[in-house]
Amino acid sequence: MTEAALPAPLAAPSVDRERLAAIGFVLPSFVIIAGVFALPLVLLLGVSIVDANGLTLANYKRLLGTPYYLGVVWNSLRLGLLTTLIAFLISYPAAFALARARGPLRSVLLATLFLPLAASVIVKAFAWTILLRSDGIVNETLMALGIIEDPIRMIFTETALIVGAVNIFLPFMILPIYAIVAQLDSRYAEAAATLGASPLVTFVRVILPLTLPGIVAGVALVFSLSVSAYVVPTLLIGEKYPTLATAIAKAYLLAREPGFGAAAGVVLLAIAIAVVTLSARLSREPK
Amino acid sequence: MSEAAPHLVVRGVSKKYGPTTVLDHIDLTIRRGELVTLLGPSGCGKTTLLRAIAGLAQPDTGKVELAGRDVTHVPPHKRNVGVVFQSYALFPHLTVAGNIAFGLKVRGAARREIDAAVERALSLVKLGHLAGRRISALSGGQQQRVALARAIAVEPDVLLFDEALSALDRKLREEMQVELRRLLQDVKATAIFVTHDQDEALTMSDRVAVMNKGRIEQLAEPRELYLRPASLFALNFVGLSTRIAGTVLAAGNGKVEVETKVGRFSALGNFQAGSPVIVAARPEQLRIGEQSEANTAAGRVRSVVFQGSRTLVDVDAGAGESLLAELSGRDGKIPIVHDEIRLSWPVTETFAFPMEAQA
Repeated sequence: MTEAALPAPLAAPSVDRERLAAIGFVLPSFVIIAGVFALPLVLLLGVSIVDANGLTLANYKRLLGTPYYLGVVWNSLRLGLLTTLIAFLISYPAAFALARARGPLRSVLLATLFLPLAASVIVKAFAWTILLRSDGIVNETLMALGIIEDPIRMIFTETALIVGAVNIFLPFMILPIYAIVAQLDSRYAEAAATLGASPLVTFVRVILPLTLPGIVAGVALVFSLSVSAYVVPTLLIGEKYPTLATAIAKAYLLAREPGFGAAAGVVLLAIAIAVVTLSARLSREPK
Repeated sequence: MSEAAPHLVVRGVSKKYGPTTVLDHIDLTIRRGELVTLLGPSGCGKTTLLRAIAGLAQPDTGKVELAGRDVTHVPPHKRNVGVVFQSYALFPHLTVAGNIAFGLKVRGAARREIDAAVERALSLVKLGHLAGRRISALSGGQQQRVALARAIAVEPDVLLFDEALSALDRKLREEMQVELRRLLQDVKATAIFVTHDQDEALTMSDRVAVMNKGRIEQLAEPRELYLRPASLFALNFVGLSTRIAGTVLAAGNGKVEVETKVGRFSALGNFQAGSPVIVAARPEQLRIGEQSEANTAAGRVRSVVFQGSRTLVDVDAGAGESLLAELSGRDGKIPIVHDEIRLSWPVTETFAFPMEAQA
């Protein structure tokens, strides 16, 4: 209504000016991303498909054609998927609790989320090795309580890896979901209830779809972080759980095979892009 | 008003939030097909009462019966009520049709039945052409209609409107008031409106409950509410009035003689001699000059406000008291500011209210 009321000759140039301004604002970040991110990626792709004899797919054949490296790809996927799933299951109710909390409690809860982000991932991963090793706090406590007699092997297991990864990446799941939940009008649930929807149906048909954008953002963040994690698997499980990230490091630092490392990097990036794109599609509004 | 059986009964409902009493032993009985407004200032408990009827707020004491069923402890999704919220609360992830179909879908209705009900509800609110639209693509007035259609589509036992029109601009709101009333009468809906807008209350309802501090001060038809306010609060909240403070000199037969700083008045009311009271009359009862069986007072015109069909004249009667007269175009000469005039009004249209009840 208001748009129609605007005099047309004035409206047209102002739109153009707005577009110019938008381009102006985007330009610096565009230059930086193109220069330090896109360009190296193109080079990476180039390195992965070129060797002394010209174009080749040998690196990709080795990566996706040998059982060992397929296992490495699967390890990365498994780490990413499990971490994301468990982080989501913990974060979703936590985000609601956070949004319901009032006053000082909310500040304390938010601080417990943000403060760990200030600590290096290496510090946090080391903290987990201290907690989980045979003479670590967890085993000592369990033995002192008489629950177990001998220390359980926790460090360097997949459980330790997933526990550590979930812990370290959790804020990246909670915060985007919390941002959405905090804005969610409680009237939606009330409207659904008065229309005859039980709490479960209200959750499935109203709350879940309305919080989907937060879930998608959290999933995209945590998956892309955990699928490519290097420090966490290196410190918490080590050699017996090679991932794409550790394979890349080995190819560059030990084996001196930049072509193969580049190919692994491209595959890792492709996986992350695929998952992020797929989840973004889920959150699109209906026509 | 027919003698139909009570359709919605609220009995002795109280509700406290912490130390604050929000609802104080509310009794309210509504017949099938009746349109009732809960009218009052913010914080009077009207919205809480509506939420208690919807099942969204649990009363501390008392009972709620709907369509012959005790629903006091029944959760909202099993009550069969329809609520239109002030913010509409339309589901942004669903289309217009999806919103209207929601209630029937979650009740497990058959596809064909849902489609028919959606079409019926959409045509009722004249939005058939917008079925496939997203909610964000609608104007405020259209969203209001969709919210109404969504609530009506499930054929609820009672429709509850929580300040449902207050987000619309004035002109649209006045149009919707008339249209909504006609629509609700057509579908024979029982409805309760919550509003702080007296015009909305008088336009839309068969009966109005004036609420103050968690109590219903008066439950009456709009006309009776205006002509025979039961309390000073009801008088103040609906319409304008002239109010003068005084003390009862003599009382008897439902009438009192009241001594005020601007003269002695007769008024309707039951008080003991010596009680402090407020004497009040509606402005359209005040006439220039004398009438028989009337109170009179004189003063100097302070302001004259022309409002089309009527003119409001504010008169300074001295001693800090003022008289408000509403003169229609047929009343002959309209005074101008600084005129000295004498006003009179019938004793039978003069009320006395206890002083301490002033809100």
